[in-house]
Parts: sequence; C-alpha cells; structure tokens
Amino acid sequence: MPTFVYMTRCDGCGQCVDICPSDIMHIDKTYRRAFNIEPNFCWECYSCVKACPQHAIDVRGYADFAPLGHSVRVLREEEKGVVSWKIKYRDGRVKEFTFPIRTTPWGSIKSPADYDAPDAGDLQSALLAHEPEALKVDRLPTLPPSNKNQE
Amino acid sequence: MFTSNPFAELSVFLPPLVMQVYIVLMILAVVFGTLFDMFHKSSFTFFVRQWKATKASATVPLSSANTASLAAQTLLKEVATSGEFCNPMRRLSHLLMFYGFLLYLITTVVMIFGYPASAAIPAMTPAIVPVLWNIGAVMILIGGYWFYFFLRVNVAHEGYSRFQLVRADLFILSLLSSVSFALIWEIVQAADNLLATKIVFGIYIFLTTVLFLGVPWSKFAHMFYKPAAALQKRVAEANGSSNLPRPVDVNHMGR
Repeated sequence: MPTFVYMTRCDGCGQCVDICPSDIMHIDKTYRRAFNIEPNFCWECYSCVKACPQHAIDVRGYADFAPLGHSVRVLREEEKGVVSWKIKYRDGRVKEFTFPIRTTPWGSIKSPADYDAPDAGDLQSALLAHEPEALKVDRLPTLPPSNKNQE
Repeated sequence: MFTSNPFAELSVFLPPLVMQVYIVLMILAVVFGTLFDMFHKSSFTFFVRQWKATKASATVPLSSANTASLAAQTLLKEVATSGEFCNPMRRLSHLLMFYGFLLYLITTVVMIFGYPASAAIPAMTPAIVPVLWNIGAVMILIGGYWFYFFLRVNVAHEGYSRFQLVRADLFILSLLSSVSFALIWEIVQAADNLLATKIVFGIYIFLTTVLFLGVPWSKFAHMFYKPAAALQKRVAEANGSSNLPRPVDVNHMGR
C-alpha cells in the first residue's frame, strides 16, 4: 500500500523527502507541502510514515484490490523508543501493535557527515568506514597471518 | 527619519483619503480572496465534513467548556507560538515574520487612520508608532530573508537553487519585496527628492497590492486554515475519535 500525505497536517519540514529511498516524496510547488509524486514506485517501506513528526502520512491500497475504508496509522514516540501501528480493517476490526525501534536514545547516533573523511590509504583496509571504533570495539577479528602463509 | 510618520509626509502629493480608501480596499481583497480560496478549493466543505465525522466517531463527549479550552490551547500553542513546527529555526523565522507583520500592519493602519496629515496641518504622530512600524518591517525582513534563502524546504531538502521560483513563493516574495520597498521609500523620502519618492512609493504600492490581491493564488489563506486543522486534531485526540494509535505505556508493551 503506497503512502499519501494529509496536506492540512503537513508542515513542510522535508523529513520524508530526506528519508524516502525511492526519492518519490517531493514538495508541492503550490502549497509547499510534501506529496508522493509516484505511488506506483513506492517501495512501501513506510520510512516516511514513521519519520513524519506531524503524523501527516498515511497509506492506502490500490482501489482495485483494497477499496477505501481501511486505515494504517503510525505513532512514533521518540523519547520511549517505540513505534505503534493501528490497523483498521474495512469491516471495522482494529488491531494495534507496538515495536521497540532502537536501543540507544533518540538523536544519539552520529550521522556520516559527523565523522572525519577517510583518507585514500583506507582503501587498502578490509575494514569499512569508521570501523572498528564506530562499532565500539577495539578491533575486529581477522584471519591470523599464519593461516595465510600455510595455504 | 525612523521616528516620523512616513504616510503623513505623503500628503505633499496624495490626499490622506486616498490611502484610507486603499487600506479598506486591501482589507476587502483579503476577505473576499480568502472566502474565494475556501470555497474554490472546497476547504470549508472539507473541514465541516471532518468536523461531523469527528463528532460522529467520538467516544468521549466534550462539553462546550472543553472545546473552548482546546481552542484556547490551539491559540496559545499553534497560533501564538507557532508550536506545530518541528524545526526550531523555522519556528523562530515564522515567529519573526508573524509578529513583525502584525506590528507593521497595525502601525500602518494607526498611522493612516489615526494621524491623517495634510500639507497645511502636519499631524503629530507619537514617535513610538513609526519606530514600531520600522521594527515590525525589520522583523519581517530578518525572518523572511532567512526563510527564503536558507529554510525553504525545497531549497534545504530538495536541492532547488535559492533563485528558482515556484508558485508557493508568491506570498513570501510579495511580502518581502513590499516591505523592502516600504523601507526604501522611507529612506528616499527623507532625502527630499520628490520624483524618486513618487517612483519608489509607486513600486511599494504595486507590490503591496500584489501581496493582498494574490490571496487566492498564494499561501496567504494558511493563516486561517492551519489553526482550524490544529484545533480539529486536538478535538479528535480529546474525544477519542483520532485514528492514531494510543501512546504506549513502556512498562506494558504487550497489547
């Protein structure tokens, strides 16, 4: 089910534009509010639904197999580290689910731009960027050199 | 310069009645423009339908006092302090423009209607009124140019050029250019060049007219429908008709 935006609730903050992996959340040129430019290309990852601080994004199925009348709503509570879903079926049944979304406080993860840029020598390393310190370990296990010599 | 009534000095070439009629026409333009916008986009119908749906699915009946309390909270948070913005920079910029615009608008009306001048009888406007007019204009310009160059979502998040214009820019651009030319006109007027004053004043009036006549095509009407949407959201949360999940008690996660 692709996403859509309640324009009266959107405040045009752009967080859905930043997070959409399919780059289909854009800003309307008349009202400067977000909208899904191409629902057919929506991955249905619901990243924008969860990211929207105004709860302005909802989802709906294609009318041919999921006629209107249902709703899927999300409440993200950053300070509690949980996200809750409320699914309303067309026959009136309602189901609610809550999941933990993280183990560290909201906002505590450094973004890639906050790290120093790696130098060219790092291309020779088997480690990924900012490893091992970003993983909070002293070092990562690797095959000992002696193993290589034995081959 | 900043302590004298710029509209009083207009009486050299323009009778005060002309500016008073102009203000009334602009107020009418905003009223009719907003009404046209509400009916043309069916936003009035939308809000009425939403309101009825909210009441029909309410599980907790709200008294008039409760609704009045929610309206007061909306007025205090969403309207007076722009509380809906999640980005503090946008909130600050919006507050500068909002209160600057109110100050600028009220002092303009006070100067034009309260202290109408004629060439023969110079009006004695208290210095505080034009000073507040200038402060209001500067607040709009600081908040507005900050928003226009750095905070617009299509510039900050979509990678648009700062100089690429879209229809949503009509309101901010007409507001900024109108207020910028108000200050330029005040400065040129102080230089005692009548021809330059007339030209800059003409541009100022043209841009101000665009700002108020452009209501049906610009974002001006958001001043009215955003508080309505905020109140509706608060009422839905209070009367149990909101379709959002309930907040979680983290000690009892299972449902």
